[in-house]
Amino acid sequence: MRNAIIQIDNVDVEYPTGYESTRRVLRGINLEIERGEFVSIVGQTGCGKSTLLRLILGEQQPTHGRVLVNGSERSQPDRFCGYVPQKYSLFYDKTVLENIMFGLDVVEFGAFPLFHLRRRKRMGEFRSKALDFLKRLGLDESDARKYPHELSGGMQQRVAIAQALVMQPPILLMDEAFSALDPATRKEMQRLIHDLWRQSTTTILFVTHNTREAVCLGTRVIALGGASPAMREIAVPHIDFDSDTSELDALVREVECGIAGGTTVGGEANLRTDRCELSANLVH
Amino acid sequence: MSLLRIHASPSRTTTWILSWVLFVAGITTYFYVAQQRHRENPDDRVMPTAGQMIRAFKDAALKPAEDNAEGELSGTLFTHLRSSMLWKDTIATGRRFLISVALLFPAVLLGLHMALFPYIGAFFLRFIQFFDKIVALSLLPILFIAFGIDELSKIMLIVVGVTPTIILDAFNLSNGVPSEQITKAFTLGAGDFAVAYRIVFKQILPRVLNSIRLNLKAVMLFLFAGEMIASTDGLAYRIALLRRHLGMDTIIPYVLWVALLLFLVDMAIHLFNRKMHPWFQE
Repeated sequence: MRNAIIQIDNVDVEYPTGYESTRRVLRGINLEIERGEFVSIVGQTGCGKSTLLRLILGEQQPTHGRVLVNGSERSQPDRFCGYVPQKYSLFYDKTVLENIMFGLDVVEFGAFPLFHLRRRKRMGEFRSKALDFLKRLGLDESDARKYPHELSGGMQQRVAIAQALVMQPPILLMDEAFSALDPATRKEMQRLIHDLWRQSTTTILFVTHNTREAVCLGTRVIALGGASPAMREIAVPHIDFDSDTSELDALVREVECGIAGGTTVGGEANLRTDRCELSANLVH
Repeated sequence: MSLLRIHASPSRTTTWILSWVLFVAGITTYFYVAQQRHRENPDDRVMPTAGQMIRAFKDAALKPAEDNAEGELSGTLFTHLRSSMLWKDTIATGRRFLISVALLFPAVLLGLHMALFPYIGAFFLRFIQFFDKIVALSLLPILFIAFGIDELSKIMLIVVGVTPTIILDAFNLSNGVPSEQITKAFTLGAGDFAVAYRIVFKQILPRVLNSIRLNLKAVMLFLFAGEMIASTDGLAYRIALLRRHLGMDTIIPYVLWVALLLFLVDMAIHLFNRKMHPWFQE
């Protein structure tokens, strides 16, 4: 893959679990993600989905192998990857507007903004940009002054997405971002993130344990096995949110088989399924 | 009994009345016993009557201190107050108290840096955990020998007694900030110090202020110990001095005055916290 923005080469991750014992979470993972892709990562709890994101963020280093983001290894998170976690995604000491403006402000004025004389003028510009994003994500201007604890879960995640997207990151990593939402809000948010992705060139990695969500959103689904730290890569055709449910159900079953396949084969590293072959299988 | 139900819901008036019952009971009991003692012995000095205490407090607050010749007899109420024993003692103790509280601020910053920067944490943590276990009052003779009996030794006593607790508290609070927040800040372009000061410090500040509120009494305790042993002015010095003369009519108002001052400082920090951190829900 020539245009890979993320390249994961033969990565193992082990955690120490006691004296001289370790637990292997990921084994022999190879993955390349192109610019502009929407990749869903799905799997059971504890299969290493979030670990994979942390590797890409640079927050964690692999035990073996390497992770290249835009051609280089990362030692800590930076602006190249936006991040929307499931919880604590907003700074609760800041209002909605301050949360969205934070990135713009901190990049320009650093740790001690009060020492910058130009800041007041620039803040006006940041404010209008943040309000623009707020509206794009379906929030009112009246919400701008609220603190995160005054917002519903869905609104909080909208603000978290705006906060990340206002920085225009080439990659957006979403770690079970919609898991805590009720079904109606979740569907609304899925549609929103899909629309935002279609309108931009951002590469999105979407971690979820909901197979249906993974299939609906992703152009590709990475299924991580539970008991065995293996991976199965499954390409999915474009599914409209309002498509025939039997077609969607078939896809979901196929991906769930993928997850199960990863577990039953156990020990076999990197179970890759040919994308075209699988697509053909699923569509027809 | 229905009063002891977890789901009991007393009315606002009942709650208000109940909250004052012990105050009223304590005061009534004191004055009843004091009156009985004075009936038996009119010269009793252990439990002064309300009148005696008011008189003594008025003298302490309005009469010039023994070493203060100016402002005698003439002048406004304020000039009388400024040259009084109570004023001088309050200013002396207050100055030491404020310096000590100001020294807690670097302690908070140290705890923050220890939590966020692993090398700083590795350097300081074990030492401060050990330092925290030293009984500060046992160091008093060493402090007096090392720093003399001036202000510095009293302030050092407070530093030794209270700062390790504040450092460790700030350390634990900083560690308690969810890692997602720190990761998020980095992905928004913040550097290490921006994360430290604009995210973690701001989020722990209201809790740190609450911790300082809880430690105000400890600050005062160490300050009083220092003043009682080696000082020529201050509220604790006066209480220790009056003890020798069994001056309970002044000691009791002084103790209540100290409690009132601490209560007001605590209230001021609480209101400041609420005003500055409206997002913080205790």
